[in-house]
Amino acid sequence: MSESDRRVVSEPSLRSYLDALDDRGELVRVTEELSWDLEASAVAMRAGDRDGPIPLFENVRGSDVPGARLVGDPYRGSQRRPWDRIATALGLPADVDSETYYDAMLERLTDPVDPVTVDATPEAAPCKEVVRTGEEARLLSLPWPYIHSGDGGRYSNLHTLVVPDPDSEWVDWSTHRMMIHDDRQGSVLLLAGEQTPNLYYYKYERRDEPMPAAVVVGAEPAVQCTSVMWIPTGSDEARYAGGLRGAPVELVECETNDLRVPADAELVVEGHLLPEKRLDEGPFGDYFGYMHGPRRSMPAFRVDAVTHRESPIIPFCVEGTGAGYTENTTSSMEVGCVGPDATLGLRAAGFDVVRCVPWQFTPRTAYVVATATNDPGTLHELANFIFTTWGMLHIDFFIFVDACVDPLDTREVFEAIALHADPDADFHQFGVETMPKVPLNIYQTPDEKGDAQTGTSKAKTAKAYIDATGSAGARPSVVSESSRERARELLATAGVADASPRERDDAGGARGAGDVPGAGGER
Amino acid sequence: MEFRETVEALAAAEDLLTVEDPVSDPDLAFALAAESARSNGPAMLLTDVPGVGRLACGVRGGPDRMVRRRRLPWSRIALGLGLPADATYETMLEALSTAPAERPSLRRRAAAASGHDRDASALCLPTVSSSDRPLISEGLLAVEVDGRQFWAPVRGDVRGRTTLRLHVPDTVASRVEPGPATVALGVPTAALMAAHLSCARTHPWRAWTAPEIAAALDDVPVAPHAGGLVPASAEVVLDGDVAPTGEPAAGPRAAWEGVADAAAVTVSVDRVATRPDPLVPLAPVGEPLGDDIHQTSLVEGARLQSRVNGYWGVSPVSWIGLPVEAQLGVCFVASEILYAGFEWQLANTLFSFATSFDKVVVLDVDAAFEDLARALDDIWVKAHPSHDWVFSEAAAPAAAAPAYRRDGQTGSRLFVNAAWDPRWDEEFIAPEVNFELMYPPEVRRTVEERWAELGFDGDEDASDTDDAVAGGDDGNE
Repeated sequence: MSESDRRVVSEPSLRSYLDALDDRGELVRVTEELSWDLEASAVAMRAGDRDGPIPLFENVRGSDVPGARLVGDPYRGSQRRPWDRIATALGLPADVDSETYYDAMLERLTDPVDPVTVDATPEAAPCKEVVRTGEEARLLSLPWPYIHSGDGGRYSNLHTLVVPDPDSEWVDWSTHRMMIHDDRQGSVLLLAGEQTPNLYYYKYERRDEPMPAAVVVGAEPAVQCTSVMWIPTGSDEARYAGGLRGAPVELVECETNDLRVPADAELVVEGHLLPEKRLDEGPFGDYFGYMHGPRRSMPAFRVDAVTHRESPIIPFCVEGTGAGYTENTTSSMEVGCVGPDATLGLRAAGFDVVRCVPWQFTPRTAYVVATATNDPGTLHELANFIFTTWGMLHIDFFIFVDACVDPLDTREVFEAIALHADPDADFHQFGVETMPKVPLNIYQTPDEKGDAQTGTSKAKTAKAYIDATGSAGARPSVVSESSRERARELLATAGVADASPRERDDAGGARGAGDVPGAGGER
Repeated sequence: MEFRETVEALAAAEDLLTVEDPVSDPDLAFALAAESARSNGPAMLLTDVPGVGRLACGVRGGPDRMVRRRRLPWSRIALGLGLPADATYETMLEALSTAPAERPSLRRRAAAASGHDRDASALCLPTVSSSDRPLISEGLLAVEVDGRQFWAPVRGDVRGRTTLRLHVPDTVASRVEPGPATVALGVPTAALMAAHLSCARTHPWRAWTAPEIAAALDDVPVAPHAGGLVPASAEVVLDGDVAPTGEPAAGPRAAWEGVADAAAVTVSVDRVATRPDPLVPLAPVGEPLGDDIHQTSLVEGARLQSRVNGYWGVSPVSWIGLPVEAQLGVCFVASEILYAGFEWQLANTLFSFATSFDKVVVLDVDAAFEDLARALDDIWVKAHPSHDWVFSEAAAPAAAAPAYRRDGQTGSRLFVNAAWDPRWDEEFIAPEVNFELMYPPEVRRTVEERWAELGFDGDEDASDTDDAVAGGDDGNE
C-alpha cells in the first residue's frame, strides 16, 4: 500500500501512542512514587543516556489532580535512528530506514487534510473531561516538572502554543516553553524573529492588546510533530497535522476564547499573553547541551482556564540531553520532523535539494543540505535564502554536501567537511557582526545577550555556510561496484547492521532531487 | 602479541566475523574488508580464498565514534598491544610515547615461518579491479644500513612471481641502497606500530631502533633474516634484495603516505617462508576507517603531543587527536588555554608540525576524545561564528589529506576556537547538561539505586549502542 493510499495512519492520541510503545516493550510504567522535583527528569535523562525505554511516571508525588502523570521525552529516538519513535507514532513500520521515512514524511506533508470541529463535550473532546475556569484554574495543582537543578522554575516545555493572527484567520501553532510562576501565571520564551513572537511583539503589544493563547499539552503525535515544523506564515498547521495523520485532526473550541485546540489533548491551559507585562524566564538547561543564563524578562501568560482529561499525562523534554550522543524529543523531532519539512520548503522555493537534515548531535545550530549542484552561485543563493528565512533564526551553520553523501550519516558529512571544504574557498561567513541572533547561545556573554526586550541579542553575530561538495568521484574506485554490492549483501547476511545495500552511487554518480518520491509541489 | 593471537583475541571479543564461503571474485576480498570497515563492522577472517593462507581483514582497524559504541576506534590496536580493549585515548598516547627507563634487550627466537618457495604471487593476496596485481596492504620492510636495523611500514603489489613494488616512508627509503632486505607480513601490532613510530622519528623513540621500540611496546621476539631482524612470529617472510625505483606501485595510497614523504622500492624475492596455514593481513587502504588510518592517527597524535607538550616549558595539552572519521583531515586538541591568544599559538604550532590537515579544533582541557559527538557539538555551539572561526591568509601550503588544491597552490588554514575564553568570569561559563551536574547527589543516588525497581533493565551495558558488533544488536532498532 502506497503512502497516498493510507488512511488514519498515525496514533490518534498521546495515550494510544504510549500504548503502542508499551506493546513494543519500549515503555516503562514507573509505579513507584517519584517527585516532579528533579526525580522524574533524572530518570528520563538516565534512560536517554542509555537509549532505554520511555518512562511514564504513574505515581507523581506532589500533585493535586488525581492520577496526573508525567512522561519523559516520549518522542526520543535511539541514537542511531533518531526518527524511529516518531515513525512509530505516525504508524510507519518499526524498521523503516531514514530515506523511506523522509520520503513518507514528504508525501504526507504534500497532502494536507482539513481539520474538523467537534462538540465541546467530554465524549467528543476528551480534553474537556475536567474544566476549571477563573480562580479554580490552578496551574500548581499539576505536576509540572522541575527539570534541571538550577532551572529558574518548573516548566511546561513539550506543548503546542496556539495563537491567532489579529489581522486574518490564520492561527499559528508553535513550541515555546513556559516557566510556571504561580497558579495563574507563566512566562513564555518568545524570541523575536519567529512567527508567534512577531505576532505578539509587533501586533498585539503595539496595539496594547492581550494575545489570546492556548497551551496545548499532550496533543496527538501528528499535532506535536507539526508544531515544531516551519510551516509557512499564513498556513494552517492543523491541515498539515491532518496530512501527517492521514485523517482530519479534530479540534474543539476553548472555554474562554475563540481558539480551537486539538480535542484529544491531555491538557489545555487557556489564557492571554499580556502586553507590556514581563516575568522572569530562565535560566534553563537548553538545547545547546549547556545550562545557560541569564534570567531574562519574557511576556507574561495569564491563565483563564485549565481543561484536561482524567488522569492527564504531561509530557516533558529533558532539554540539553539531545546534544552529543544522546537523543531527546527536541533533537529527534528536529531530525524527524523539521528536516523533512525544511526539505520541502527549500524545494518549494525552487532549489534542487535532495534532503535537508539537522546535524544530529546539535539540534537547530547546524544543518546539512545534500544537493545535486555544486555551482558556487547556486549554493550562495540557497544559503542566502536559508539565512533570511524566519525558521533559520537559530541556525548558524549550513553544510552543503553532494547528493551522493547521506546527510544523515554524520561520518560521511564530517569526512566531506574535512576533505572537501577548503578553508580558502569553501567557508563563507555571512554578515560578520550583522546577523540577528537569538540569545540562547552560550558563546556570547550575558551582557552581549542583553535583556532581551524583544528576544534578540544586543550583539549581532555571523552565519556561515560550508561548501563541502566534491565527494562525488573524489575517491578513485578501486573495486568494482558489483563487488561492493556483493560485499554489502554478504555482510548484511552476516548481521553487520550498517552494511545493507545502499541505493546511492558510491562511485560518484549524483542522484538528483527529482529522483526522490514526493519532490517538488507547493505547500 | 602475535598476529594470529590478536585474531584469536578479536574472535574471543566477538569482534571477528569468519567467512567460510568461497571468496573467489578477484576484488571481493578487498571489497569485503572495505565495506566492513565503512560499516563499522567487525574484523574478518576469510578462510576460503585463492592462494596460500587465509586473509585476516581489519585487524588494526576499528569503528567510528559517530554513535556511542562499546568499542573504541583504537580498541583492536590496544588489544594487539596487550592493553585493555577499552583503553582511553590518553592511555594509548601514553603507551606510544612513554619509553621504559632502560632499553629492553632484544629477545631472539627461531622464525616461525619456514619454507623455500620463491613464488610471492602464490600467497592469498587480494586484488582490486583497477589492477590485477596482488596487493600487499600491510606489513613491514626490514633493512640493515650501517649496522642499524630499520623497519618501515609497506604497501604495494606483487609483479610476476618474485618482484615486489613497495611504498615505504622516505625516512627509510632514502637510506636504502641495493642490498638484502626482508618483507614480513602478519606481524605483531607492536612491531607494526614500532615501524610507524620509528619512521615518524617520534619522541622519545628517535634514538631507538624499531625492534627496540617494539620490545618496549610489547614482547616481540625477533629472528634473523636477510634484512636483519624481523618479528619471529611473522606469518609470511619474504627475503630478497631491495633497490630504489621510480615506478609507483598499483593500488590506493595508504594514509601514512599523506603524513610523510614516501618513496617506492623494488624487492626481488628469492625466498618465501610461511607459517603453516598462514594468516595474511588485508587492510583496506585508502578506504574510510581502514587500518592504515587508525595506525597513522595514533602515531600522529602521539608524535604531535610529544612535540607540543613542553614546547612552552609547561604541558598544557591533555591530548591531540586526528579523528579517523575525518581521514586525518582535521586535528582536535584539548588544552588548557594559558592566556588570551594561546589558542592561536597552539593551532599554528600544530600546523607547523604536521602536514596532513589544515583545520584544527581547539577544545577545553577536560574534553574527551572518546566523546567525539560532544567535541563536534562544540564546534557549532561554543565557537562564536564571528570571532572563533579563524582563517589564515592564503599563503599556506596545501595539506596532504584533503582532496582540494592538488596543483601546488597555497591556501588558507582554519582553526576553530571551541574553548572557553580565558578572559571570561567563571559565572559566564555555562555548565554542561549531564546527569552528574544537573542533579544533587541524593537524587542521583535515588535513581541509581532504584533503577531496577523502577522497571528499567539493570544491566548498565545492555543498551549501549554497538550493533555493528557481529551478533551484538542492541535491540533498539
